[in-house]
Amino acid sequence: MVTIQIDGRAMQAPTGTTILKAADQAGIVIPRFCYHPAFEPEGSCRMCLVEIEDLPKLDLACSTVVREGMKVWTSTPKVLQARKDVLEFLLADHPLDCPICDKAGECFLQDYYDKHGRYASRFLEAKEKKKKKIPIGKKLLLDRERCVLCTRCVRFLRGVTGTGELGVFKRGVKAEIGIDEGVEIRNNYSGNLVDICPVGAITDGDFRFKTRVWFLEKKRTVCPRCSRGCNIIVQSVRNYPLSGRQRRIYRIVPAENQDVNGYWICDFGRFGYHDIEDNRLTAIAVNREGPAEGRLPSWEDILKGLAAEIRALVDAGRASSLAVILNSSLTNEELAACRKLFADALGVRSIFFADPKPGEADGYLLTADRTPNGGGAAALGFSPELPDLEKLAGAADLLIIFGPHLLEHYPAEKLADSLKGIRRKYLLAAHRSGLDALADIVLPTAHPAEKKGSFRNVKGTVQSFECAVRAPRGCLPEGEILSRLASELGVKLE
Amino acid sequence: MSDVIATLIPAGENSFRLGAYLGRGGYEAARKTILTMKPRDVLEEVKKANLRGRGGAGFPAGSKWAFVPQADERSKYLCVNADEGEPGTFKDRAIMTQDPHLLLEGILLTCYAVGIHTAFIYIRAEYEAIAQRLEAAIEEARQKGFLGPDIFGSGFGLEVLVHRGAGAYICGEETALLESIEGKRGMPRLKPPFPASVGLFGSPTVINNVETIANVPLIFRYGADWFVARGLPRDGGTRIFGVSGAVRKPGLYELPVGTPLRKIIYEWAGGPAEGQSIKAVVPGGLSAPFLTPEEIDVPMDYESLAHAKSMLGSAGVIVIGDRTPIIDVLRIVARFYAHESCGQCTPCRIGTTWISKIADRIGAGAGTSGDLDLIRHLAEGMKGKTLCPMGDAAAFPVLSIVDKFGQELGEPISR
Repeated sequence: MVTIQIDGRAMQAPTGTTILKAADQAGIVIPRFCYHPAFEPEGSCRMCLVEIEDLPKLDLACSTVVREGMKVWTSTPKVLQARKDVLEFLLADHPLDCPICDKAGECFLQDYYDKHGRYASRFLEAKEKKKKKIPIGKKLLLDRERCVLCTRCVRFLRGVTGTGELGVFKRGVKAEIGIDEGVEIRNNYSGNLVDICPVGAITDGDFRFKTRVWFLEKKRTVCPRCSRGCNIIVQSVRNYPLSGRQRRIYRIVPAENQDVNGYWICDFGRFGYHDIEDNRLTAIAVNREGPAEGRLPSWEDILKGLAAEIRALVDAGRASSLAVILNSSLTNEELAACRKLFADALGVRSIFFADPKPGEADGYLLTADRTPNGGGAAALGFSPELPDLEKLAGAADLLIIFGPHLLEHYPAEKLADSLKGIRRKYLLAAHRSGLDALADIVLPTAHPAEKKGSFRNVKGTVQSFECAVRAPRGCLPEGEILSRLASELGVKLE
Repeated sequence: MSDVIATLIPAGENSFRLGAYLGRGGYEAARKTILTMKPRDVLEEVKKANLRGRGGAGFPAGSKWAFVPQADERSKYLCVNADEGEPGTFKDRAIMTQDPHLLLEGILLTCYAVGIHTAFIYIRAEYEAIAQRLEAAIEEARQKGFLGPDIFGSGFGLEVLVHRGAGAYICGEETALLESIEGKRGMPRLKPPFPASVGLFGSPTVINNVETIANVPLIFRYGADWFVARGLPRDGGTRIFGVSGAVRKPGLYELPVGTPLRKIIYEWAGGPAEGQSIKAVVPGGLSAPFLTPEEIDVPMDYESLAHAKSMLGSAGVIVIGDRTPIIDVLRIVARFYAHESCGQCTPCRIGTTWISKIADRIGAGAGTSGDLDLIRHLAEGMKGKTLCPMGDAAAFPVLSIVDKFGQELGEPISR
């Protein structure tokens, strides 16, 4: 550790750290474009120049290593003028199209102008014309006029994905980010480029022109799309349902967690917001018996009915004819409730699992296991096995299925035939699927992003999360369903 | 010993041949030094000679070599900067054309002093004929055992490679030069680390200008004391002054460091061209601040020119005559730096072009009253604030033109 002073405040900083990192630690914000903590200092934007006592010239905060006794000043007239100058340079050729730019509201250039710029423009020349809508792969678009050439995107693709699709072409004021002919960005981490672009130069077709960032509510949770457990921020609008084609979830971005995902998430997880949004079950469906009095049954009716059916079986000494199929996307709390209710209290032995089929791991964050809580299930003593359909059909009288994944493991006809043999089938699922028609009663549940709870990831780390977005009206989290069912049955879960 | 013998640029059609060089005592200094002196003592001798870099910054060569960590296990490299991109500079081409073996002997001595076994000569692609001449000279020297695995039977080995650049001014900046040799886009690196510790391919590297290295054999042929006596005590030897522009006898003049600029222009270069008087003088390559005719009574050494708020730089003297409108000078200067900015850092990328656009607008008769102040403001925004010295190189001449010739510049604006 060394002792330094920033703006007159004495502080300890780790030996070898930079002024910028030490300032960040102390809550002193030095503006930056090209610096990103995931990469080596680049030193090209010149926004982080600071004054160091006894040095004649301003120096970079991002790359200057702290020394014992160093005195740094981040807001002297010289520093403020240099910042203003950098902004004046960057904005000279900038198109100033904030009103139609998706980055507006979270743009470094916009924020810094407001804080450090505020000069009257003296640029009388013709601006450099550059291309504004260049497809660079996936749904990403590059706008060269907005680009400040911080090269964060270039360095991300070289250092993180190792794919190196982007580079800097030409020189001087004509210098631009470019992609070789015939090449496109195809890696599974492309979405991070949009996040790390400090301005609106790389935008995502999925987000483009859809909303303004200041309308978005930002809530942290854990990505449920594989067993990595990446920390994410779900960004949504509050009012749901919305009219017309308006969306509820606009995007998912990474939340930094150095122990799990660093600064990044994969595209598979990022575009999981479609999974929260699309194809949802939002109302209870009763397939075999029509609504009694011309209305849909309420949750209370359904859960009372289910409790009565379970009670009847148990009272008749036929608990063995009750079967449950769980999945590894349930939270630890939900799985624990299942264990208490079904196994411990009701003595159910036929507890199975049906999970999504494993995908391909990408060698970085995305794992082959496409469920978030396989580790949790194992830790709770479950052995997640698929049911033998014929045995199940022979033994079960009442079947409660969590999730639609049985269909991924059995041919639809075979599944339909087997389930026909079971008298009564409840399906609890968040999404519509072919399984809906095979169940007697379908109950809409919440997506993991709409729940609070915890998952145990592939490395055994248990991560708690809060509800990141409200569940659609009519849906209930499985945890709530289980607790209401338990209370109908007189079972204490706590 | 007369200065004629010791010149860096020998005359004669065949001066470049190995036989001619041996006739001038070539490679004897290297032989004697390598066989009898320890590398450490070689370095000390160069320090004693006060040989300062001839590329522009004037850093003492011995000190630069001493920065290379000796205990380091990695291979070390020497890169000879033969990019010679500074406008008004044409001295290195003459040395390499007329005396390639002098450069090779200098490389040999430098590498021996620092413990380097691979040297690159980074030469601009426009010097193709010279590159070929260098390659032929390297081959000649190898045949004689002056280069190769076991030089003079000392066990010391050295290979020299000629690397052609691809035509960018910025590749004369030492770290951009390294990037270029590594096969990357020629852009300056962020310093520190400095090349002496992390240079070419991540290894300790010495980078010196052609003329600097070409002076090294003279130090060992005639001694450090002789070398210092040829120039100034703190700035030893001669400089090759390349005089161009509105003079009667443009050309290269090898003269002691500290020779007054007026003497170079009037006595050696024959004074201003027929029917002209001097309007301005660039003393050390285009990046040096312009001097007025009243300011040319200055000795041509680093300290004196720094005192005169200019630079000795590459010692390329450009004389601008009174028939040349200063706005044309400003436009050409500004356009050059705008064209050559690598585009990496903000102030240089935008500032150079912005200034160039303003200069063009003034030249086209559409200047406004705030233009000169704005140019000054933009140049100040680059000065000392860029990633590499090019920001200064672009700002210095522009600032000096606006400050010293503002009145003439103001004329097209007020019209």
